[in-house]
Amino acid sequence: MKGIQAGDADALSQLYDRYNGILKALILRVIHNEAEADDLLQEIFMEIWNQAKNFSPQKGKPLGWMVTLARRRAIDGLRKKQAYARAEERLQNETEQQPDAWVHNATEDEIMLSDTRVLIRKVISSLPPAQQQAIDLAFFRGMSQREIAAKTNTPLGTVKTRLELGLKKIYDGLKDLRDEL
Amino acid sequence: MNFEQFQNQSRLYVIGALEPEEVEEFEKARQKFGKKAEDFIAKCYALHEAFALSLRPAKSSDAIKERLMAMVKAKKDA
Repeated sequence: MKGIQAGDADALSQLYDRYNGILKALILRVIHNEAEADDLLQEIFMEIWNQAKNFSPQKGKPLGWMVTLARRRAIDGLRKKQAYARAEERLQNETEQQPDAWVHNATEDEIMLSDTRVLIRKVISSLPPAQQQAIDLAFFRGMSQREIAAKTNTPLGTVKTRLELGLKKIYDGLKDLRDEL
Repeated sequence: MNFEQFQNQSRLYVIGALEPEEVEEFEKARQKFGKKAEDFIAKCYALHEAFALSLRPAKSSDAIKERLMAMVKAKKDA
């Protein structure tokens, strides 16, 4: 990030190589459209380049900053295009947002991230399905508690409890990982 | 609001799931707890990274990077 803050384009190139797959997966999970996800990915890395001066290591890691930025942009994009209905239809047709094949030789970074992914998924999958669903709708689709309650036909108080309990379990479950994230 | 309740609300806050009427109370508690609150909120943002890292990375086309780097170069040259 220091290189990017200093205007080094090679540093941006390296950052892109390291994190584009993670950010693209996040965007795809929100908007469920390959072409739109690619366009948004490009816009987000341009924003990273333009806004790098606002990044402060005291407030967190670069990946956290980029994920927060990417999620906000993806959810904004989803809302602007009023694509909820289309996304929902696609969501129902997709069990996984990505094809299985991501065929190339894995780098050390990717292997490390893969191990991290397994651990995180283990924590998330230990939650009851209703808690997983509530968190998924809140995080990846930007839904409010009221919107989740309406969509799942669940009392608002129950949605709040599911979110609180689920997030606490994930937060606690990731204690060992938190320093690495 | 005690600190345990604040912690629960913080986890909702960082994923944008607090309702508007809850945000006001949350902000008051945030001020009340000061640095302890800010430190906890910063830790909660690790949830963002965790959710992103829980997904299988997606391949993007090489053209995206080429376009990005061309835009960066144009901006630097301008």
